[in-house]
Amino acid sequence: MWSLAWKNVWRGGGRSLVTAGAVAAVVTLILLMYGFAGGATNGMFQNLTRSTGHLVVRVKGYDRIEEFDQRLLYDLEDLKASVQRTLPDADVEAVLEVPALLAGTSRSRGVVLMGLEPDGHLMQEMVDRYLAEGQRPQPGRWQAALGQALARALRVKIGDEAYAFAPGTDGLGAGAFEVSGLIDLPESNLEARTAVLDLADAQALAAPDAASRIVVFLPDLKTLSQEKRIDEAKAQLTAALPEGYEVLTWREAQPALAAILDLMTPMLLIYAALFFGLAGLLVVNTVYLSLVERIREFGIIIALGADRWKVMRMVTLESLVLVLSGALVGGVLGGALLYRGAQGFSLPGPLAQQYAEFGLPVVMYASVTPTQVVSVFVFAVLTAIASALWPAWLTGRLEPVEAIRHVA
Amino acid sequence: MEPIVRARQLEKVYRSDGIATPALRGVDLEIYPGEFTAIAGPSGSGKSTLLHLLGGLDRPSAGEVWLEGERVDDKNATWHARLRLWKVGFVFQAYNLIPVLTALENAAFVLELRGVPPAERKKRALDALAELEMQDYAARRPNQLSGGQQQRVAVARALAAEPAVILADEPTANLDSKTGRALIEYMKRLNREKGLTFLFSTHDPRLLEHVRRIVHLEDGRVVGEEVREA
Repeated sequence: MWSLAWKNVWRGGGRSLVTAGAVAAVVTLILLMYGFAGGATNGMFQNLTRSTGHLVVRVKGYDRIEEFDQRLLYDLEDLKASVQRTLPDADVEAVLEVPALLAGTSRSRGVVLMGLEPDGHLMQEMVDRYLAEGQRPQPGRWQAALGQALARALRVKIGDEAYAFAPGTDGLGAGAFEVSGLIDLPESNLEARTAVLDLADAQALAAPDAASRIVVFLPDLKTLSQEKRIDEAKAQLTAALPEGYEVLTWREAQPALAAILDLMTPMLLIYAALFFGLAGLLVVNTVYLSLVERIREFGIIIALGADRWKVMRMVTLESLVLVLSGALVGGVLGGALLYRGAQGFSLPGPLAQQYAEFGLPVVMYASVTPTQVVSVFVFAVLTAIASALWPAWLTGRLEPVEAIRHVA
Repeated sequence: MEPIVRARQLEKVYRSDGIATPALRGVDLEIYPGEFTAIAGPSGSGKSTLLHLLGGLDRPSAGEVWLEGERVDDKNATWHARLRLWKVGFVFQAYNLIPVLTALENAAFVLELRGVPPAERKKRALDALAELEMQDYAARRPNQLSGGQQQRVAVARALAAEPAVILADEPTANLDSKTGRALIEYMKRLNREKGLTFLFSTHDPRLLEHVRRIVHLEDGRVVGEEVREA
């Protein structure tokens, strides 16, 4: 019956070709959409976790604590060692965030001074990656890398001094920092209120031997689909750490951004359903016209002994052949384009800049999961079946005597 | 001997827009195994209607139809489909082959509907085509065959399924007289050599010359019957 369905579909010639072509286009488009979204999502995941880490260890109830000193991790070295023992393959680094007033010669701004470890990922991510001018702050030299917007606001440039005031803390409380570099962060809001220091200098200023949080980077985590490893690591770490600390995943640390990423899957499914719905209308049209042109033939088939269910199955098979032919072509085409996209692609210039503001990487790598590929073909099969329902129902209602006498 | 097909007081009334048109008015008929019977009558006499009712293609308005000792007319559509699939072979007047299938595939089509394995249905279809001297045309599609050849394939399709009875509704109507006579000869030979039961309708008196039993139908009634010596 598949063979008969195949022959019947292609006797429709141009009409079947156009319909199968539309299905192929839809499948290609959806695969590309999945691939692009997958690349973007993975890129955002990597970008996000580059600046937040995969896990964060901090004082329990951190968000609800207002006093700076109560938010600090004082037993820093022990804690870091404990984290490292629990997750030996992970990179572990401390961050000290100090709310402060930073002043140039004539202007001042409320800022967050970020004390980062000189050999850590965060120093690379925050400073090296976005360094527009100058160099990263050197340990022990009381240097700072300022966001460009902040430097403009303070009217300071490389080599100038900026004065930091962090009153009410356990450190020196004030200090003069040489502006060593200017950083061009993708998020302009962050750029206007961030200055990066060496961790030891930040500790000397505000919190000796303490940190605001410990950030954990797990190795070889490139895609969102590997997220399960983060949850497993969190469970291990939570069990290993003493009371008084909490372990957050990147998702818990950045719930709003994580929610945006989570929206991607249902949105893609809605788009895919819409596209397939449109293609389905074409399929219904083609299958219906094919039925109208062959009423007499179906009458013969019924007269020869096919029951209603059998002829309905025939119509459904034709719809499946039509849609799956297009889907296969679309799958091959989409697969080839995805393969190309998986080598790396970027959006056109201005668009890439705009999206970079939202944490999207400039170069992305198309990525689809096996589930997504399967879902495209499941959509195709469902479309074929749904499109065949009405024509098949009509065929099943044909009276053989009338159908045989039918003149198209 | 039990009749293979039996009709009792068969009536059929077509209704359209409140107008009733009687097509059959109390037909009694019995067909016995191995018979070669023609139903003769002018156009509109009810020949096709009678064959449709006997083959389970349509339901009578009144009366009974029996096939191989089982009542047919009171069953549902699915049962009728099974009846047609397993017990009745149909040959229609306008060839009615499936255009995308080859002669062999057409001849094997009923067997495919029955779920006969491919190798067996191919053999049976080829044998049937050979009986109609169509084996050399097995790979051709209907549009590559003449009208007579197409009708021979249609007979082969019925033959391959080995039904209890073959009902042929004006099988020669679209053929020239020579080809029509040849087709009837093929059917007669199959009846003679294989004992197949044929019941066919025609309005062409020239085709009735060598038919042993002829039932005459007029205005939906049997108006006479001839049984000639073999």
